[in-house]
Amino acid sequence: MPKVTFIEDSNGSEHVVEVGVGLSVMQAAKLNGVPGIDGDCGGCCICGTCHVYVEPAWRQRTGERTDFETATLEFAENVQANSRLGCQINMTEALDGLVVRVPGSDR
Amino acid sequence: MVTNVSMASAVNEGAVHWDPYDPRYFANPYPVFRRLREEAPFYYNEQYDFFAVSRYEDVVRTLGDRDTFISARGDILEFIKNNTPMPPGMFIYEDPPLHTIHRGILTRVFTPKKMNALEPQIRAFCANALDPLVAGGEFNFIDDLGAEMPMRIIGMLLGIPDEDLKKVQHFVDQSLSTEPGKPMDTSGASLGGDVYADYIDWRAKNPSNDLMTELLNVEFVDETGTTRKLRREEVLTFIGILAGAGNETTNRLIGWTGKTLAEHPDQRRQIHENRGLIPQAIEEILRFEPPGPAVSRYVARDTEFYGTKVPEGSAVVGISAAANRDERKFANGDSFDIHRERVPHLSFGYGFHNCLGNALARIEGRVALDEILKRFPDWEIDLDNARLSSTSSVRGWETLPAYAPNAKRGTRRPKAVAPETPAPVPAGAETWKMTLKTPMGPQEMTAHLIRQGDSLSGRVDSPAGSEAIHDGKVAGDVLTWILNVKKPMPIQLTFEVKVQGDLMTGSVKLGVFGSAELTGARVHS
Repeated sequence: MPKVTFIEDSNGSEHVVEVGVGLSVMQAAKLNGVPGIDGDCGGCCICGTCHVYVEPAWRQRTGERTDFETATLEFAENVQANSRLGCQINMTEALDGLVVRVPGSDR
Repeated sequence: MVTNVSMASAVNEGAVHWDPYDPRYFANPYPVFRRLREEAPFYYNEQYDFFAVSRYEDVVRTLGDRDTFISARGDILEFIKNNTPMPPGMFIYEDPPLHTIHRGILTRVFTPKKMNALEPQIRAFCANALDPLVAGGEFNFIDDLGAEMPMRIIGMLLGIPDEDLKKVQHFVDQSLSTEPGKPMDTSGASLGGDVYADYIDWRAKNPSNDLMTELLNVEFVDETGTTRKLRREEVLTFIGILAGAGNETTNRLIGWTGKTLAEHPDQRRQIHENRGLIPQAIEEILRFEPPGPAVSRYVARDTEFYGTKVPEGSAVVGISAAANRDERKFANGDSFDIHRERVPHLSFGYGFHNCLGNALARIEGRVALDEILKRFPDWEIDLDNARLSSTSSVRGWETLPAYAPNAKRGTRRPKAVAPETPAPVPAGAETWKMTLKTPMGPQEMTAHLIRQGDSLSGRVDSPAGSEAIHDGKVAGDVLTWILNVKKPMPIQLTFEVKVQGDLMTGSVKLGVFGSAELTGARVHS
């Protein structure tokens, strides 16, 4: 199974989790109790509570966010060029080793 | 009263039929929704000329494809059918680029982080409301909590101090009530968004750290490329939307929480024992009984569903309450299970128009449930005194009395009781039966009018009660008057009708929500 590394922006702690292909980055975080990712809406791209920063090396492979995602990201704070919603990144083998930072982990 | 037998036959026999205005479906629309999903996933209602989709994927498609299914004609079926004009700033009924601009101004105010920071205030309000009721053991999910807390929180967000909020409420109550034998006080600045007009002017001079100040000062690039602030009427519209949306829907969520958990005491006990289950319980209640059961769209270009062509100009109703129970997406969709696998429900909509206040609704619902469970681990619903209402946009409890097992019953009565006996018809009045095609469905009203020269007086009776008219004028065969109604929400209705013999035609302006067509016929005594 592909792995994702979550790095908490506030304190730098790392969580490396395995996730089934087809599940989202948000689900990977929720299933493994990664702090700072609430996924309140369950993956509907509605609430903006699974905000992550995709590490620059991975941005091309995760693709760019959609208009819809950009609209929902307005609910999030400290949005950057590499901001994505975890629920909109579905894991594939090609994303094995993905690294994202979690801005919300100081809540 | 409809018996279960005739209800069952209406739902189960013959071709599937769904009438959103038929009160027989209000109490339990789910059997008909199931039939729609299985037998008529693309349903056409001839009587009202609309299409309806009920499967999850179809509702998602309708709400997600904003180029085909547009919002500019409104999201309530009647608005779309009547081509109701929208006031400036009504962003919930806009498309890009206007929608993107207007919504963007508000999204950053409604972030989950900012909403979750309101938790202490929400908790304090719930505690204050519920504490005095513990000893008696009787409480009302709507009167005590749902109709109060969300309104106060929105008031607080807008920057109306609690004391002043009471004044606004008091003012609304005063301007609406009439004492027997006395005309209604018409000096007030009227209702709806206008109630806030004085606050806007005051806030413009006395800025503070609140949403109203922020709305007054925010600079944005409008659709013409001009950088500007919001106009006064735009701010008023925004506030009208927030005040309306922020009250009504969360109120219904709190009601459904009370009703649904009373019917599932085992799951309620689990939540009581493990408060960590509250977030998923609220999500399941939202899925199971969505306060907003359907969202409509105007078809802006030809499209098709299941091989059937849908011409431009059609209205499509996306029944989210049906999609939320679609077995293709939710196993045993008709059962309530807080432990079910989390699949996104559509109760906050989907796509660019999804509910701006979803984070606020969630935190309010969660805190309310937690505070209720702290004081009332078990409750029963007093169904005899509960009242359900259903419109094409909102379905939920108007009043929902409940009692704990230890309650001394009968010490409290629901605040809102059935309409009072109407006052005698004024002598010499002409009586008109009127039908308004409103967003809440067709509404019947009876007007008793007295023409004296160029002035008009009298009153209007409706299922919501009897109210005196004011500012009545007669100009030839054109009559105009204003009516302030309290239910289902405080709103000012401005009537303009033309009388021709025994017939009446015209329109009614519904506060900030556009206008409705009116037809009427004289009743001969």
